[in-house]
Amino acid sequence: MADASNQFALFESAAGYALLEIVSVEEIAPGTASNQNAITDLALFSRSIKLKAFQPFASAEDALENANAISEHAMTDSLKNFLEMNLPKVGKKKKEGKAAAFSLGVIDSGLANAISEGIPGISVRSDEFVREVCRGARLHLTSLVKGLENGGIDQAQLGLGHSYSRGKVKFNPARSDNMII
Amino acid sequence: RGGGMKGGAKVIVEPHRHEGIFVARGKEDALVTLNSTPGVSVYGEKRISVDGPPGPDGNTTKVEYRVWNPFRSKIAAAVLGGVDNIWIKPGSKVLYIGAAAGTSVSHVSDIVGPSGMVYGVEFSHRPGRDLINVAKARTNVIPIIEDARHPLKYRMLVGMVDCVFADVAQPDQARIVALNSHYFLKNGGHAVIAIKASCIDSTAAPEAVFRREISKLQSENFKPLEQLTLEPYERDHAVVIAQYRPTKKKGKQ
Repeated sequence: MADASNQFALFESAAGYALLEIVSVEEIAPGTASNQNAITDLALFSRSIKLKAFQPFASAEDALENANAISEHAMTDSLKNFLEMNLPKVGKKKKEGKAAAFSLGVIDSGLANAISEGIPGISVRSDEFVREVCRGARLHLTSLVKGLENGGIDQAQLGLGHSYSRGKVKFNPARSDNMII
Repeated sequence: RGGGMKGGAKVIVEPHRHEGIFVARGKEDALVTLNSTPGVSVYGEKRISVDGPPGPDGNTTKVEYRVWNPFRSKIAAAVLGGVDNIWIKPGSKVLYIGAAAGTSVSHVSDIVGPSGMVYGVEFSHRPGRDLINVAKARTNVIPIIEDARHPLKYRMLVGMVDCVFADVAQPDQARIVALNSHYFLKNGGHAVIAIKASCIDSTAAPEAVFRREISKLQSENFKPLEQLTLEPYERDHAVVIAQYRPTKKKGKQ
């Protein structure tokens, strides 16, 4: 928590994955009054959070596959590649003892576990702080990521919402409310 | 269907005090919303067509409204009950928990209009199918067939919202609302919750149940603004409206 310069956070959106770099930690400490402004005010927020990388989903199928995995706390290959490509390299020589020099914030603790198992040596965290960062990211995503303005993110949510929900209704082994005709 | 109130010429539609909601004044008054899919009823509700403002060519155009039944929708009941502010207006983004078959959702979709968005969460698959069909004709409705107790499961589908509306009739409704708000509700946004007393605790007095639910919300950083009973449309129901993470305006806190 002390090392401010080496904190990252993963944000999953309908349009793709975003990796955020947390430049200054103090202002986003959860629960304080100043934190409310640090999150809502884009100028303040973009001073402490920088977009490190954004990877849009290649297609609707790709987005659906990732959304299904995310909802089951699983890491897809494309998420793994995205993280490995954009996070600093994990030092391979000191495998034990010392933790990685950076930490990755993941909003979902289940997914955090999956990531730490899938990418050895990575240090993950999932707490209130990450939640606040993600609140800010959700609010300002269209300003952080180019090309999502003008309803781009709404379109992505709409398409993904339909395909995700249709999949839910279609395949469900534990369907309890089957209609009897 | 359609036609509904006969003698269309005699019906006048006026804007309601709440932006985006209208009142049709005919033989009987009715709450209505502007139909975003003219010619189509979502669940067999009546439609009212009146002359709109004349177009550029001088011809009057027809504008169609859909009747909103307060006995079927708790939001409509709250509006007719005189709620101060329903916090759903044109352009709003709304997380609608307990969307069911999408009947009320369709009216909320009419209200928020093309610049707004309704994220409709429904867990049950049978009404969920109907919700998906409603959403097919309305591009501002995003159907989410998922358990609202686990908002992280659908975090990729939802953006930041101005208002969380919940009508889930579950004992832990306040917790569900708080959980979703922590992820999706803007600072200073509002939660509008329809509470059915007997679903929370059937042995306690309704008033006591409402009080307890409000204090649960308070402990989750909500500031209660309003409580309204839904009589005569629903028995032992209340709508509670609270502001999330209120922005301090009056000096303290």
